[in-house]
Amino acid sequence: MPELFGPMPFINDILRHRSLSIVGLEKNTGKTVCLNYVLRRLNEVGARAAITSIGVDGEQTDSVYATAKPEVTLYEGMQFITSEKHYLQRRLVSQLLEVDSQRTSLGQLVTGEVLCRGKILLSGAASSEKLRSQIDHFKEQGMELTIVDGALSRLSLASPTVTDAMILATGAAVSLHLPQLISRTKFLHQLINLPEVDATMRQRLSHITQGIWAVDSDGQPHDLHIASVFLLGRGDNQDDLFRYGTTLFVSGAVSTQLVKYLASQKQIKDITLIVRDFTKFFVTPEVYAEYIRRGGTMLVLQQSKLLAITFNPTSPTGYTMPSRETCEKLSEALGTPVYDVMKIND
Amino acid sequence: MILLKNILKDDPAFQYVVDDLELMSPVGQQRLLNAPWITERAAIEAEYDRIDRAIALLSNADAAPSVNVVRHQLMQLHDIKGTLSSLKGHILLNEIELFEVKLLAHLYGVAAKHLASVGEEGLLAFDGHPLQATLQEVFALLDPDNTGMAHFYIYDSYDPRLAPLRKALKENEDADIFSQQEAVQQEVIVRLCDKLHPYAEALSSALEQMGYLDLLLAKATQARSWQLCRPVLSGERHYLRALFNPRLKQHNEQEGLRYQPVDIELKEGLCLITGANMAGKTVLLKTVGIAQHMAQFGMFVPAQEASLRLVDDVVLCIGDEQNEMNGLSSFASEIIKISDALRRTRHEQLLVLIDEPARTTNPIEGKAIVQAMGALLAQQHSISMVTTHYSQLGLDCRRLRVKGFVEDMNDVALTPQNINSFMDYSLVEDTTDEVPHEALRIAAILGCDQEMIALAQEHLKHHKTNG
Repeated sequence: MPELFGPMPFINDILRHRSLSIVGLEKNTGKTVCLNYVLRRLNEVGARAAITSIGVDGEQTDSVYATAKPEVTLYEGMQFITSEKHYLQRRLVSQLLEVDSQRTSLGQLVTGEVLCRGKILLSGAASSEKLRSQIDHFKEQGMELTIVDGALSRLSLASPTVTDAMILATGAAVSLHLPQLISRTKFLHQLINLPEVDATMRQRLSHITQGIWAVDSDGQPHDLHIASVFLLGRGDNQDDLFRYGTTLFVSGAVSTQLVKYLASQKQIKDITLIVRDFTKFFVTPEVYAEYIRRGGTMLVLQQSKLLAITFNPTSPTGYTMPSRETCEKLSEALGTPVYDVMKIND
Repeated sequence: MILLKNILKDDPAFQYVVDDLELMSPVGQQRLLNAPWITERAAIEAEYDRIDRAIALLSNADAAPSVNVVRHQLMQLHDIKGTLSSLKGHILLNEIELFEVKLLAHLYGVAAKHLASVGEEGLLAFDGHPLQATLQEVFALLDPDNTGMAHFYIYDSYDPRLAPLRKALKENEDADIFSQQEAVQQEVIVRLCDKLHPYAEALSSALEQMGYLDLLLAKATQARSWQLCRPVLSGERHYLRALFNPRLKQHNEQEGLRYQPVDIELKEGLCLITGANMAGKTVLLKTVGIAQHMAQFGMFVPAQEASLRLVDDVVLCIGDEQNEMNGLSSFASEIIKISDALRRTRHEQLLVLIDEPARTTNPIEGKAIVQAMGALLAQQHSISMVTTHYSQLGLDCRRLRVKGFVEDMNDVALTPQNINSFMDYSLVEDTTDEVPHEALRIAAILGCDQEMIALAQEHLKHHKTNG
């Protein structure tokens, strides 16, 4: 087990990827603290890095709990995207490179380059498409890494179709009750680590953008023309679902309803459900557990690369969980090192 | 003044033409929507001359790289009218607004340079006031280090105090030093805005010129791809040879269907258009309207050859616009529109296009209304075109009939899908006061209930023997 209280070892891992998202399991899980740590380390190793964010996340105080929201510290040479409003409020010296004509609630998005390090609030794009194009743009500008900062419960940016790698932030804000904290973190960790389909299968399925499909024994996909999962198990659809075999691919969101329905089928041991990636998975832990317990198989088209898990021991209500003990329990349960986000900066 | 955006509400078919224009910038969009209805021949001719030049430019393969650069500048153009009016009104700009001003100067400079390289700088300075030199001065003010880049910040060279303060900041992230640095930046901004103030007018003109160029290139591109023609504005003849409806033509081409353009000549007074159902009378009316709209908003027209009279306005009454929101029936909205047109023809030169007036009321009064309306329109100097299914109107006016079904159909079974291939949409002068009676035949082709058709034929026989 690595030393959980020393500097996080994953900076070199990060630089092997072109884009990184930092997502919190809940608000106040220490995402920004983690981000600041990563930025500082990137500066120390002299990496060319850019940062953008999704959603308007940039109020100085958290609107839910009115706790102070730390600004992000950026260093010389880093490029960033934020709104007009936050650009003008920045506490760093930077030059403007570009102004986007699209407007957000905080004005146009602007791209800047830091000349003198300092603090700034980030606010950003509203869609995954916009994020993808920003990441591409930074790549063209010669940036080695683009970091995407996420807003409250915005998992979509961690989709491997948007960013190459991710850091997951969990903490006392998720639950002060240790077993509950562990089970919620573990569930997401499991989903992130769902195994991938093979390359041939990925190639066959990745272009499909709509509907529920079955994959036959020759690996050919067939559209099942299921208008809604709510119709499953009613009338004509019942027998049809497995007419091409028991491997199914859902191109969009996977619901509790669907997984529950599959878990109740007699063929459950033969069923393989393929999901695009873990961000498309909207199933309760109980139903997922039931599906797996009864013998179902779950795969993703593309797996997310999880680089690290961080833990924030302080809850927004002010209560602090015992750091060392909780990190150790979490690490043990997840089989992955978990770092105390408040200590990595020391 | 009539603006293009006001027309779009009344003429949805014209919307298609407008939507097809590939505008790169919001400024070009604004320029299009606020395009005025032009009634002076010279003004339209001047615009046509520039479209011709733009078409020549687009057709010149050697100029393509320069045109692409110009387009790329237009794509980056922001609408900064608000910023420029702040500058005019001595309101302090912020860094982002200063960046926008610099960007405008930069984009204008690059576009002007590339147009000049192909000998067409005049397409940008449409108002006869080239601004390259002036905007170069603006750019220089905002680029004190001569980077030539459209990036911006309050450069160290603006004030000797900035460099040491920033050096100190690099060593130590100190809030006090940062505040001092910000205060100096603010002083620089005040000085910069004072220096930029005299250029506010020129910057506004430059923005307008860029918007104009955007629209001009879009019009020329459309003229090329749709094969539009430059009409002669003789003032007398109103003639369109091989007139086509852009939307329908494109649709038919996509579906692999034939599209038949139509020749039409219109004169002062009234012209009645008759023809079977499905003979394209309504489309013809709409297309004549589109052509006039295009011409007088400074665009080429959808025909192979055209000679047009300029009018004060087009009145288009298609009759399918039942306005439930106003509580008006289709009859009521139609009658209001027609009476408005009649009133206006007494002192304006209009192009009046009315589709089957009074068709939604009883045929006895309906016919009387058409007779009265027709008699009044026939006396006016406006050009009026009215489609109708009423026979024996007894009006002293021109009549054009759509030829309709071709004679030698060689016993091919007609279907709703192929019916269009057996229609001759061309127009012939008609001297009789009769309209074609082909409604039942067409209903049968369309697969209408046979019992109903047989019954209708019985009734028709009955009418004839009794009539």
